[in-house]
Amino acid sequence: MPDMIFLALSAVVVASAVFALEAKELIYGTIGLGVSLVGVAGLFMLLGAEYLAMFQVAVYVGAVVVLILFTIMLVRRESGRIVDEEEPASFGSVGIYVAALVALAVAGAVILLAPVSPVAPEFYQVQLQDLGRSLAASYGVALVILGLVIGAAVVGGLTLVKIDREEKPSGTTE
Amino acid sequence: MTQLQVLPGLQEMVDSLVKIVTSRTFLEIVIFPGLLNVLLSVAFLTWLERKIIARVQLRIGPLYAGIWGVLQPIADFVKLLFKEMISPELADVKLLMLCALGLMMLAAAPIVTIPFGEAFVIANMDIGLIFVFAVMSLFPSVLLLIGWGSNSKYSFLGGLRSLFQQVAYEIPMWLSVLGIVMLTGTLNLAEIVRAQQKVWFVIPQVLGFAVFFTAALAELERTPFDLPEAETELVMGWMTELSGAAFMVGFMAMYTKFYVMSALITTLFLGGWLGPAIIPEPIWVVLKTFLVAVVIVTIRGTFPRVRVDILLRTGWMRLLLLALVNIVVTVILIWLGLGWVWRV
Amino acid sequence: MEPLSSYIILSSAMLGIGIYGLVSKRNAIRLLFSIELIVNAANINFVAFARYSNPPILSGWNIVFYSIAAAAMEATVGLALILVAFRLNGTIDIRKLNRLRG
Repeated sequence: MPDMIFLALSAVVVASAVFALEAKELIYGTIGLGVSLVGVAGLFMLLGAEYLAMFQVAVYVGAVVVLILFTIMLVRRESGRIVDEEEPASFGSVGIYVAALVALAVAGAVILLAPVSPVAPEFYQVQLQDLGRSLAASYGVALVILGLVIGAAVVGGLTLVKIDREEKPSGTTE
Repeated sequence: MTQLQVLPGLQEMVDSLVKIVTSRTFLEIVIFPGLLNVLLSVAFLTWLERKIIARVQLRIGPLYAGIWGVLQPIADFVKLLFKEMISPELADVKLLMLCALGLMMLAAAPIVTIPFGEAFVIANMDIGLIFVFAVMSLFPSVLLLIGWGSNSKYSFLGGLRSLFQQVAYEIPMWLSVLGIVMLTGTLNLAEIVRAQQKVWFVIPQVLGFAVFFTAALAELERTPFDLPEAETELVMGWMTELSGAAFMVGFMAMYTKFYVMSALITTLFLGGWLGPAIIPEPIWVVLKTFLVAVVIVTIRGTFPRVRVDILLRTGWMRLLLLALVNIVVTVILIWLGLGWVWRV
Repeated sequence: MEPLSSYIILSSAMLGIGIYGLVSKRNAIRLLFSIELIVNAANINFVAFARYSNPPILSGWNIVFYSIAAAAMEATVGLALILVAFRLNGTIDIRKLNRLRG
């Protein structure tokens, strides 16, 4: 039974990832990316990382996909929807060979060289309190730095997209 | 027991199917507190809202469909089912219907974590609270897709306004329940209800309750925050181009979200199924949920609509500050040694 | 439970799809899709190894925690850059955005 769930989830992840890249409409591609990310969250749950799965859904699908949708709607040409034009054939096929080669090399190297037993130990339910304690204590500095990086990214993003208008006289609402 | 000897595997499949259908979890999901409960409560809520708003506005409301108009939601359902589905020329009808159904599924999903009794919860998740919030964070993208897929400027603007509003009020909502999580040390909704046995959380977390209530009103797009469906400006906001069956699904999704949010408020702040044992526990949950719903509907009838910049400023700045003050108050409570009251 | 190698094969497949997207797509937003797919492949790898070790490693979860947050921030800034590039050039086709070359 877990095998079927794993196969189904991997099929969803891979199929919607390919759809995300190959769909003619960018918006359909974004929906495909969202489905793929939810599939990855399902895989996290299968691996016993429930909190991470919810975190992934809330951050990736809840925020990043919304951002991407938003940006797509802002970079549309006036005449219609953005359509990914046909790629020149030669470039596309080189991409597939390169990608397949890299994937095979990585998978082969890891499987042959990793000193980890391939069978799972019995189900170990990681306590949420342990995760919280480790975040606060051992990784506390990293958490603070992450917060600062998030602040810097938000400020930077807002500054980049700010449109400089002429100075208006002050005295608007409050 | 049917004897299907055509394929040996078929007998096992039929047996396991029968076992699943008669299992307790499946019955819970389909009848109570799952599908049937949600559908009936949504129908009841639409009737309740129309009656209360009517009385607030010195009218009577639905009267002719059944006693006191109780069958009015059924009449609406039948009517909408048989209406023709009109859509703009370049609109993507498949996308609209898919997103409306997805909205309904997302709105109804958190009901599986809401406890309706001491051991009566469909999915007792240790991360129940985060699950509810993660599902709620998926709403804005679906609304944006519906608004964009309608290929009409008014519904797109309505979808954008809904997106802004719901994203802005997500953060105060997450922060306002942080006080509860600090006091109980768990994200499990059943444990949170059990921890309120001495004092309900509405008392020590008054600020958190106020912030969560306001943010919930904004997430539900109800007055005073219903700018996305300002009827005199944008027709129906993102739902403008939905018609017939798609409109029915979208409309039901809105009221399902309303019901689930009220149930969440009672679970987190009003003690869920706790109460004197004269009334059985699930009835307590239903009673408290409808009490919260009545309050929200009365607020709709009596408050004016706020302007969009006040709306966004309230969400991003004022509610955020209040939620942070609530966290400080909770920390002071724990430091004063009162944390034991809410430990299970 | 399936062996660890299934998860490794899955994450390498996602890596392959991401690399294919990076190499052969010319819409800047599709490049962003590919980057997100690669980061998710790495996250699956981390969690799989953290789970299949004996005893399970908690740092795998922590690293994925930071990875998800950092990738979200990188997507934010990346999309802001795409917006600015669109405003200045009217296109997000990366083959036309090559004024810094030469």
